[in-house]
Amino acid sequence: MQEIFSKLFNMTAFGAITYQTVIMWAIAFVLLYLGIKKKYEPLLLVPIGFGVLLANFPGAQMGIVDASLIEVGDGRYKNLFEIAHEYGILNFLYFSLIKTGFLPPIIFMGVGALTDFGPMLRNLRLAFFGAAAQIGIFTVLIGAILLGFNMNEAASLGIIGGADGPTAIYTTIKLAPHLLGPIAIAAYSYMALVPVIIPLIANMFISKKEFQINMREMDKKYPPKHQIKNMKAVKIIFPIALGTVVAIFVPSSVPLLGMLLFGNLVKEIGTSTSRLAEAATGPIMNTATIFLGLAVGATMTAEVFLTGKTIGIIVGGFIAFALSVTGGIFAVKTYNLFVTKKINPLVGATGLSAVPMASRVANEMALKHNPANHILQYCMASNISGVIGSAVAAGILISLV
Amino acid sequence: MEDILSNALSILVIGMITVILILGLVVVVGNVLIRLTNKFWPLPDGPVKKGNSSGAIPAGTMAAIVAAVDTVTGGRGKITKVEKK
Repeated sequence: MQEIFSKLFNMTAFGAITYQTVIMWAIAFVLLYLGIKKKYEPLLLVPIGFGVLLANFPGAQMGIVDASLIEVGDGRYKNLFEIAHEYGILNFLYFSLIKTGFLPPIIFMGVGALTDFGPMLRNLRLAFFGAAAQIGIFTVLIGAILLGFNMNEAASLGIIGGADGPTAIYTTIKLAPHLLGPIAIAAYSYMALVPVIIPLIANMFISKKEFQINMREMDKKYPPKHQIKNMKAVKIIFPIALGTVVAIFVPSSVPLLGMLLFGNLVKEIGTSTSRLAEAATGPIMNTATIFLGLAVGATMTAEVFLTGKTIGIIVGGFIAFALSVTGGIFAVKTYNLFVTKKINPLVGATGLSAVPMASRVANEMALKHNPANHILQYCMASNISGVIGSAVAAGILISLV
Repeated sequence: MEDILSNALSILVIGMITVILILGLVVVVGNVLIRLTNKFWPLPDGPVKKGNSSGAIPAGTMAAIVAAVDTVTGGRGKITKVEKK
């Protein structure tokens, strides 16, 4: 009788539950709570949270294993059938879709098909502030090295400052895949906290007078030199021309930026390619998001996640994010010193990715100070250029580190 | 450690210069495209002038009708005549 009970007990997972397992479950529940109840990036946090849960069910064989276990020597790896057979389906998904760097560019294609470059083309000079807001990425790279991270890990940590989930994941896969879980969590959490972080930084550095700079009034006072007489044609040629130019200068940014621009092109062409745009933004992007979220969550096993480095990533990620917002604000302030056509510094604060949430938050802040001051389209200009900027920054890190 | 830090510092400088350069190129490419399309493929600006017929359709309404037909017919349909009743 005792033997039967003993066999029954061994069949269950009770014997394998440790305090680390319970901590990881608690983390999974918090992520699920934030996604479901608080609606913080639910499309990503729910699959990631559930992935964490799956990975930490003892004996379920759903946690992602170290890459060294699938190496067979001479730079060769086990085939996908062997991986699925030995380590389960989430490892199959991870090593085929994530480790190969396949899913982030696919998601970028969908993002491109959802992006409208119109506001940026109407306010091209604002594109520069998408560059200034990348300063957090490179500054935290140095800070992380001082904290004891190696160069690859520091670069992956810094990219959180770009406020772009797929870019952060893509860079980490290339440079420090063992940190993928915490970096993805930090990136998406801070993106979800944009409505808290941007006002916090903006209120610290922007004066009341600067908050009230009315961009429309400025446009009326100093109208742009060139009106766009055929926006549709410009929007169609722009992704082709930009993709070609960027590919020559930073080829390593092409997987992300190329797919973003391709997605945008099929959207802008219109009805003749609308089915492609619908596929990119609908079934393909949704499927990619599910697999990406689950597989990234499954990388967060207790032994990988419960380390000092995770705390460093959480803190460092916040600093990178805050520095990027601050960099954008100060770039506008500096610009305003030399021109008569002033720019609202909130436009600089949106120079990171996180489209369109950053722009919406900045617009709401401007409206609080002046209910007639709508700056959304101006913020979108620097916000969209921030997407290009962070993809380029990722390319630079992948090439130079 | 010093080597790694100086390497990181050079990445900071090179990285920021490259990002600014690329976004500068975005501005240049955008401006060139706007000028080229304005010169070679401009669309008539402002509302279409009304003809002799008192039943002329405003340009905005016409654009909405064209877009609706384009979407519904998948780009295959053409508007040959619009009449007011």
